[in-house]
Amino acid sequence: MPASPLKVLVVDDEPQIRTLLTATLNRAGYAVVEAANGREALNAKSIDKPDLVLLDLGLPDRDGLELVTLLRGEPRAALIVISARDQTEQKVAALDLGADDYVTKPFDTEELLARVRASLRHRLASEAERQIVEAGPVTIDLLERRIRRGGEDVHLTPKEWSLLSELAKHPGRVLTHDYLLRTVWGPAHLGQAEYLRVAIRALRQKLEDTPSQPQLIINEPGVGYRLLAK
Amino acid sequence: MAESRAMNPQTPVTARVQAYAGAIAMVAVSTLVGLWIAPRWGTAPVDMIYLPAVLAAAALWGLGPAVIAGLAAALAYNFFFTTPVHTFRMDRVADVVTVIVLLIVALVTSRLASGIRSQARLAAAHAVRNATIAGFAGRLLSCSGEGDIGSTACTELRGLFHCNVMLVTGLPEPRIVTAAPDGNRLTPSDVAAAALTMESGEAAGRGTSRLQPAEWVFYPVRSGDEVLAAIGLARDDGTVPVTDDDLPLLTNLLDQVALALVRARAEAETREVAGLRERDHLRSALLSSVGHDLRTPLTGIIAAATELRADGATQDQALLATIACEAGKLERYISNLLDMARIEAGAVKLKTEPVDLVDSVAAAIKDVRLSLADHPVAVDLPDNLPLIRADAELLHHCLINLIDNAARYSRSRGPVRIAAAVSKAEVRLSVEDEGPGLPQDAERSLDAFSRISGSDRKGGAGLGLAIVKAFAEAMGMKVLASNRDGLGAIFTLVFPKALVLTTSETADAG
Repeated sequence: MPASPLKVLVVDDEPQIRTLLTATLNRAGYAVVEAANGREALNAKSIDKPDLVLLDLGLPDRDGLELVTLLRGEPRAALIVISARDQTEQKVAALDLGADDYVTKPFDTEELLARVRASLRHRLASEAERQIVEAGPVTIDLLERRIRRGGEDVHLTPKEWSLLSELAKHPGRVLTHDYLLRTVWGPAHLGQAEYLRVAIRALRQKLEDTPSQPQLIINEPGVGYRLLAK
Repeated sequence: MAESRAMNPQTPVTARVQAYAGAIAMVAVSTLVGLWIAPRWGTAPVDMIYLPAVLAAAALWGLGPAVIAGLAAALAYNFFFTTPVHTFRMDRVADVVTVIVLLIVALVTSRLASGIRSQARLAAAHAVRNATIAGFAGRLLSCSGEGDIGSTACTELRGLFHCNVMLVTGLPEPRIVTAAPDGNRLTPSDVAAAALTMESGEAAGRGTSRLQPAEWVFYPVRSGDEVLAAIGLARDDGTVPVTDDDLPLLTNLLDQVALALVRARAEAETREVAGLRERDHLRSALLSSVGHDLRTPLTGIIAAATELRADGATQDQALLATIACEAGKLERYISNLLDMARIEAGAVKLKTEPVDLVDSVAAAIKDVRLSLADHPVAVDLPDNLPLIRADAELLHHCLINLIDNAARYSRSRGPVRIAAAVSKAEVRLSVEDEGPGLPQDAERSLDAFSRISGSDRKGGAGLGLAIVKAFAEAMGMKVLASNRDGLGAIFTLVFPKALVLTTSETADAG
């Protein structure tokens, strides 16, 4: 933890949820600024310059997706959206607009803190510095292009490597189907989710203890995949 | 009804006598004028004096008085003005011609005049009829409902035809909607005649060729090919209520009734649709607001409970787990309610994509992990499991409900098993529990659950399983429910071949 605590801006119109999030984040050592609507959020963004924003998509005064772009902008902050369960399309849209991750109401505070940590870590560490990613028994060396599982080398096809390295560059963060298809297979293959499914299954066969009950490469239904890493 | 009133036998005798007397009086006046003229200017212009009298008689009273006037004029001219005067003899050819011309003028003029008169009467009759129809249509236009139209039509028709009127509708047993006067009863043969009219769209009953023993005669009220109702007519004295002459008028009036009924029906439908839309709108607005209002505090409760557990007040861990778990269940009930509302509103939109069941099962287990805390989970998915075409989210909700259901009805610490089987024809994914199993009559049919929900199974099961069924069917899957010979229940999602991706479709992914 750096000397001055990292600052989190909580944007939610429900005072109880704000109180709860503040308590949780304080316990984890973050400084918290609260905002009840879009206007207050934009003020806080320019005055307090938070490192991370927790944004409820269902605000009364502004369209949540519009705020995603505004609150992420200069100076750069990590952004996690909070959404209702039945707002999958909005979640995906927010991620495509640059949100780092999302949590679904009702959320588990441990899970929320894990997402906060992952998003901040990614923002703080430059990608070049991050050479080694560890996920369970698997060690991924992004520079050496080397994967070891339980001390043994694992061999991947070029596409499998490309997919795994993409996930490993954003450890703990969800990457949407469209993002993965575009970066790994190219824009021409957008919408061909079967490629992604088959490659994910192949990776699981090579990396997971029990491929039918994955613990490392996690699916978020209708949204995307994330690599659970230390 | 009265096409030739002037001379037909119905005209009162006094009127006829007056007409003939008038004709003769006009000839007498002409004669007096002639007698005044003749000594001064000779008899030449006198025959002209009689022409106006004959023309006037023909125009005013018709053929008979005109002929009489012509004869009288000829006789008077002969007697007073032709030589030898004061006799009925005629010496000059010119005089004979004068008499014949007077008679011809009488005949032709009276024929022309009576033609004009009858045309005028016809026009007047048409005007009366059109006014009747227009008035009738106008009064029907101001009616709002079917009953209102019926009673207006009955009252109007009663006034026009001076008979008893009723409007009947319904098949196979027509019933009286309205009647004028009230309190008419139908005999069985009347009912049969009304039914026949409703069925065939043709008149039946008294005075027609069909079902003559009936006391009433029924005419169809039809719009196109559809018979909307029947109008019954009857007279107290048993005579036929509508003569052939009046049939076109009646048909026309019944067309107006049909128009009014069609309009009333369309208006009622419009009102109903508007009402339904309004109610649907209110209901979904209410549901989403209730959903939001209930979820927000639940989010707080769940988050607070997990936060307290993380804080580590150890002796209360179990209680905190209960709070989080039960709040989670409540949240799922609310989600199910909202999903059901969406299904019923037809608002479920499919976003079909290739789905790996490994993903779907893992995500569902993660989402119901609190319910599964007491139950070991066994997952048995073969390596060769093909991809499935499905909506990832709907499938997720299906699996959440099936696994949650299995956890709830498993005995304490009883395992929940999730297994898939691949065959040439289909892929099956089943969720098994170890518990009391399903009630006998609920086997094989998930429909039954929505009906018996909350009775012998614990509450909430019906809704969740009904949603599984509705979502699965929307995606083209089947759901089977059965018992495992006293071991517990097994629910199976069946993915038919059409939803299964072949290996060739996914071969070039790498």
